[in-house]
Amino acid sequence: MIDWIAFLIVSVASMFSAAVLVSLYSLGLRLLTTAGRIPLVEPHEFTGAITILPPKKAAKQLKRARKAAAANPLTPGLKRLALYAGYACFVLCAIAVLYGVYLIVPVLHG
Amino acid sequence: MPEFSLIVVLVIALALIFDFTNGFHDTANAMATPIATGAMKPKVAVGVAAILNLVGAFLSTEVARTVSGGIIKEGDGGVLITPELIFAGLIGAIVWNLVTWLMGLPSSSSHALFGGLIGATVIGVGAQAVDYNVVAAKVILPALIAPLIAGIVALVATRLAYMITRRDVGKPDGRGGFRYAQIFSSSLVALAHGTNDAQKTMGVITLTLIAGGFQAVGSGPAFWVIAACALAIAIGTYTGGWRIIRTMGSGLTEIKPAQGFAAETSTAATILASSHLGFALSTTQVASGSVIGSGLGRRGSTIRWSMAGRIALGWAMTLPASAIMGAFAAGLALLGPIGIVLDMVIGTILIMALFRWSRRNRVTHNTLLNDIDDAGRVVEIKKTPRRARRSKRKKVSL
Repeated sequence: MIDWIAFLIVSVASMFSAAVLVSLYSLGLRLLTTAGRIPLVEPHEFTGAITILPPKKAAKQLKRARKAAAANPLTPGLKRLALYAGYACFVLCAIAVLYGVYLIVPVLHG
Repeated sequence: MPEFSLIVVLVIALALIFDFTNGFHDTANAMATPIATGAMKPKVAVGVAAILNLVGAFLSTEVARTVSGGIIKEGDGGVLITPELIFAGLIGAIVWNLVTWLMGLPSSSSHALFGGLIGATVIGVGAQAVDYNVVAAKVILPALIAPLIAGIVALVATRLAYMITRRDVGKPDGRGGFRYAQIFSSSLVALAHGTNDAQKTMGVITLTLIAGGFQAVGSGPAFWVIAACALAIAIGTYTGGWRIIRTMGSGLTEIKPAQGFAAETSTAATILASSHLGFALSTTQVASGSVIGSGLGRRGSTIRWSMAGRIALGWAMTLPASAIMGAFAAGLALLGPIGIVLDMVIGTILIMALFRWSRRNRVTHNTLLNDIDDAGRVVEIKKTPRRARRSKRKKVSL
């Protein structure tokens, strides 16, 4: 009656896909950072869950990011490589998301 | 062709109201985390969720007849559920959805619907009409397992996200970049929600139409049913259950962009995997489990277990509470037309009372900011002018 196998399959499948997606995107971010293009994304709205940085501290962080980018030990070629690899990670991630949309829409897979 | 009786019209209207409450109850599943981390503005987030729910409802045309899912024995030796009982079940489900919304608890709308229908059937037909094995296998067990799976997946995903982006102390790690990703991952959850939850209402309406003889047995939902349900759930989503968003976004744990992304991805992955493999887990329970898991995954974050306990209690109560209300409504409805009118009146009074109650402490997208942070921001802004700073510091000396 109770389909334990189905639960197991669901856990494994969701674990695998979530881990792959998150790893890909994180790796993309990591590579961008390595390439010196540190993404600084400001929150749109400040809710209770966000620790608010004082402007001084935020400016300090930005300065530190610029400094780290300047002091990058990688050669320009390696930097470019890291950048492209990062972009490749994002593209793979996007493909995975599109596959998710494909799974949602039954018309597409009959 | 039988006449379009009043009860059928009433059931359709109530089903759409239920769809609406389902929408605003579940906005939080997809959008609580991106709102909490500031990845999207609250109004934009609920707008995106509403559009994706609308689109999602149209995308999936799979017949939504599994809504009773065999829980109520039909066909040979079974019973035919009457429109009156569906009507009563819907009243129970709507009232319970509003009660949990008022308390800011993310609870499963489908459980409320099942509970209401079960309660109504027990009163209307008898306790033997409910297949308790199916209830255990399809409703209760998944309710225990869904948050567990999602929580573990989210925990691992969060660990991975932090591990991969970890750098030496003081070096920027670029984790703010997860905010972009959150927009997509939360949208995926919203789309999955649209394809799942609008189906339930379509199923209820189609079931009623088939039972009333307006539609051939075994036929899918008519276009106007799909359109009406899609619209109802989209409007409900856009209204936004801000109370539940607050609970999910900051009530359980403080969420940072990496955690939010990990939690949303885990939610989407778990829901997609389960519905693709043929059984549906509750979106709400999966999403809550993911948020807790992502809280456990980040070092130094705390989880408010008292809040988690309240949510779990809400889940445990959803099925029996909506069943009792459905049973009560069914008992009245069986008295005949007077009973149905009485049901309508009591239901309307209850709904109005709950809305009245909610006005006492309104929660909107504006009140999501909590007071302490607001104060903190004002203080920080005051510091900005450079010249005034030194003199001010002497005077204020916080």
